[in-house]
Amino acid sequence: MTKKEDVKTTRHTGKTIDTTRHATPFDTGNIPGPKTARAVMPAVSGKILARAQRPLLIVGSQIHDKEILERVVTIGRRGIQIAAAGNAYKSLTDQKELDVHQVNMHALAAYLCDPSWHGLDKKGNYDLVAFFGITYYYASQIIATLKNFSKIKVISIDKYYHPNANISFGNLKNDIFTAALDEVIAQLPKVKKNF
Amino acid sequence: MKLLQQTRTKFVEQEEKLIVEGPTPRPGLIDLRNWDYRIIDTYNPLYTSQSDTCDYCTFGKCDLTCNKRGACGIDLETHSAREGMMTCIMGAACHTAHARHLLNYFINRYGNDHPIDVGPTSLNAPVTEVIMGFQPETMGDFRPVLDYVEEQLTNLISSAHTGQEGSARDFESKTLHAGMLDHLGMEVAEITQISCLGFPKSDENAPLAEIGMGILDQDKPIVICVGHNVVASGYILDHMDWNGLFDKIEIAGLCCTAHELTRYNKNTKIIGSMSKQLKYIRSGIPDVLVVDEQCVRADILREAKELFIPVIATNDKCTHGLPDRSNDSIDEIIDDLVSGKQAGALILDFEKVGELVPRLAMKIGPIRKAKGITAIPTDEDFKKLVSKCTNCLKCTRDCPQSLPIADAMEAATNGDISKFEHLHEKCVGCGICDNCPAGIPVLNVIEKASQRIIKLEKGRVRIGKGQISDDEIIKEAMNLELGITPGVIALVGCSNYPDGTKGIYDVAEEMLERGYIVLTSGCSAMDIGLHKNADGKTLYERYTGKFSRGNLLNAGSCVSNAHIGATTIKIASILAGIQTKGNYEEIADFVLNAVGAVGIAWGAFSQKAFAIATGCNRLGIPVVTGPQGAKYRRALIGKPYKKEEGGIMSTNDDSIVNSEPAPEHLMITAETKDDLLPLIAKLCIRPGDTSTARAVKLTHYIELSEKYLKKMPDDWHIYVRNETDIPIAKKEQLLKLLDEKRRTINIDKDKEKIIGNSLLKFGTPVHLTNIPPLCEEV
Repeated sequence: MTKKEDVKTTRHTGKTIDTTRHATPFDTGNIPGPKTARAVMPAVSGKILARAQRPLLIVGSQIHDKEILERVVTIGRRGIQIAAAGNAYKSLTDQKELDVHQVNMHALAAYLCDPSWHGLDKKGNYDLVAFFGITYYYASQIIATLKNFSKIKVISIDKYYHPNANISFGNLKNDIFTAALDEVIAQLPKVKKNF
Repeated sequence: MKLLQQTRTKFVEQEEKLIVEGPTPRPGLIDLRNWDYRIIDTYNPLYTSQSDTCDYCTFGKCDLTCNKRGACGIDLETHSAREGMMTCIMGAACHTAHARHLLNYFINRYGNDHPIDVGPTSLNAPVTEVIMGFQPETMGDFRPVLDYVEEQLTNLISSAHTGQEGSARDFESKTLHAGMLDHLGMEVAEITQISCLGFPKSDENAPLAEIGMGILDQDKPIVICVGHNVVASGYILDHMDWNGLFDKIEIAGLCCTAHELTRYNKNTKIIGSMSKQLKYIRSGIPDVLVVDEQCVRADILREAKELFIPVIATNDKCTHGLPDRSNDSIDEIIDDLVSGKQAGALILDFEKVGELVPRLAMKIGPIRKAKGITAIPTDEDFKKLVSKCTNCLKCTRDCPQSLPIADAMEAATNGDISKFEHLHEKCVGCGICDNCPAGIPVLNVIEKASQRIIKLEKGRVRIGKGQISDDEIIKEAMNLELGITPGVIALVGCSNYPDGTKGIYDVAEEMLERGYIVLTSGCSAMDIGLHKNADGKTLYERYTGKFSRGNLLNAGSCVSNAHIGATTIKIASILAGIQTKGNYEEIADFVLNAVGAVGIAWGAFSQKAFAIATGCNRLGIPVVTGPQGAKYRRALIGKPYKKEEGGIMSTNDDSIVNSEPAPEHLMITAETKDDLLPLIAKLCIRPGDTSTARAVKLTHYIELSEKYLKKMPDDWHIYVRNETDIPIAKKEQLLKLLDEKRRTINIDKDKEKIIGNSLLKFGTPVHLTNIPPLCEEV
């Protein structure tokens, strides 16, 4: 149940930002089993992300749009390390101040499931993974691995409901999605935090 | 007496022929388990389950989420491994049953003694020789091969039963076993048809065939053959040939039967891959559909019936509920089909099929054309249909590639159909988007809007050449050794591409321009031929079919994938002198460490594709699939950060030396073409590379990463063993970077030279191995 005080509206259109609606798998057949993601408001995702000890943001091939890319960069500037899967890196190549690493999504999942992995920055494995902008079914399959074979928390801040994550947004329209990302960002420390 | 003598002589000959020299002829379920364990320990299985539950038995459904155990004791990891094995078995069974059908048929027709003839070769059947321990020379020699495969597949299936295998690791070994068996089944099928049907034999100048949805003369009756098994279609071609019907009837194939038709008779054409099947049926162009086996849509009869296209089923594995008319007269069957009394017929008498189909096409073709039967809407209906769209996105959410169909609907209401044309190129043609709540037949709408580009869809494919000859391999040896040819890329598999057919074309073009040998087969081979450069030339017209630097070979159909593994075996045999008979492990070890071959199944969707890929994996060939490959539930991922588990043996002195992670992964996915291309170049790197080859391979890896991902790869330095490994064009820059990246290497900055490497042996030996030699030298 969404608390009244949590409900915000989009800046330009004034639409209610409720990311708990339409919480059914975006790919209609993608029903994994009894345990599925809790649909949450963006502030919840943002707070969890901000509280994480070693968070990692994974993005993929669907972040090249200017609106989305800006938000990836903003999250990176708040100190969250970024794993650029697919061809995401080519849009992040000029962002020298960000901690971005080119990864193969499948290989990354294997490493994340290994507690002995030293992380992309050699400082150890992660306790939380957030993701968006990855081909839907690809992301869904890969995070099924993290759900079933790792202790890492997975939060989807994607435009689509991801049942295999611990928490997720419902399926969103573009304007609500970008507004939701802004709400997530609003919860992150304003100055760059060293996770 | 004379007969007895002949029998004895034959028996002795067979005994001699079946002499086994290697350590593992006819390996059982655990005979290659140590090799599998080596693979699994280096490339750890990663499970991406589709479902967190198990419903194999009546204990369940059991919730296995978070790797919990179910009522029978199986956990999600083990169950996922079991599902991977079953997927692989389905694929292997499909190819093996295909092989059995062909073998029985051709032995019945030509006899056991019909010789194997695949062209000039020292190894008739490399896969058979390595696994079975003997070289077959006649069709009859393949009988024990299929007996073995069928026996092994039965054992494998039994291990999936509740209360049988309980180890994920051993299920993985069994999955690799099934993959290996798949290649054996494919080889028998392929060699049987090459030997008995006069297909091209290692023909580097194999002719080109026409391909595309726009190639057929629609004024003539049109016969479309769908599937993989050429026998029934071959009879149709023979009948048409003998009766001079090629001017009167158009005949073409969909999916791999198309490849086989063009290999059998140059008058045939290719419509395209499986993704064209529903699209072409809905166009109403076919007058008769002939189906055999594999990759035939389950709803083909229902779809055809709506458009009054009779379906002739010709294989007992794929009968679609049709009445068996094998013993009825041709006239009776034709009357029933033309009158619409029956929608199709199952006919297992191929001679009857051969005569009936052309006659049926001649009779029903004019009737259908006069009626103008098609599922494609009129201009007026098109406008009404697109305006019904409510933008609910059900179509996108159902679509395997999540295509933005509603956007195209909206644009079309404003008169812009370009988005639909774009969709047509990307669409995999499954038709699931037709489950539209507003009742829009979405696929038909896409096809209606794309009529302009469909008419222009005309390409060229080089017909399947069969085995790579010894001569080609010997001539190419130096190029492979020196890296002049940086690697062999096999573009194989189905048409469920994440980015349309253009993506696979782009990959082929990029790698060809860089001098890689590109070997294709099946649907990928077809789809590459659909695109042209600015001069209007397809890749098959721009590159020869020779196994040499920067050329494009089409091996043939799905079962022709056996030639991929066979080529690596021949390289090991001819170039490294490794004994082949019953010596699977040593051959696979050589391939893994020394042969820079990579399989790309960019559009893989079928169980067969998974089996082919897994068979490649056991033989030491890494495979990359598109993102949808994660739905196969299992990948084999290397962990290069685990250096302590590395280590590879030098055959020079049996010492253990550290090795770079090459190939880094054995089965993995890429999300886009951009991350695929550098990954391919990286996976061509092998511990056994000469320095010149390593420098060339690194050059391409770095260049492709910079071109498509706009960055220098993070891990290029771990593949540098000494200064001659460094690409010459960037040597100064790379040496500086190397100094920053890798403290284990001592660099003399004045001389710009590496003077020591604490990780890798300086001057790494060429032949490295994971296993001690298993066979005495021959």
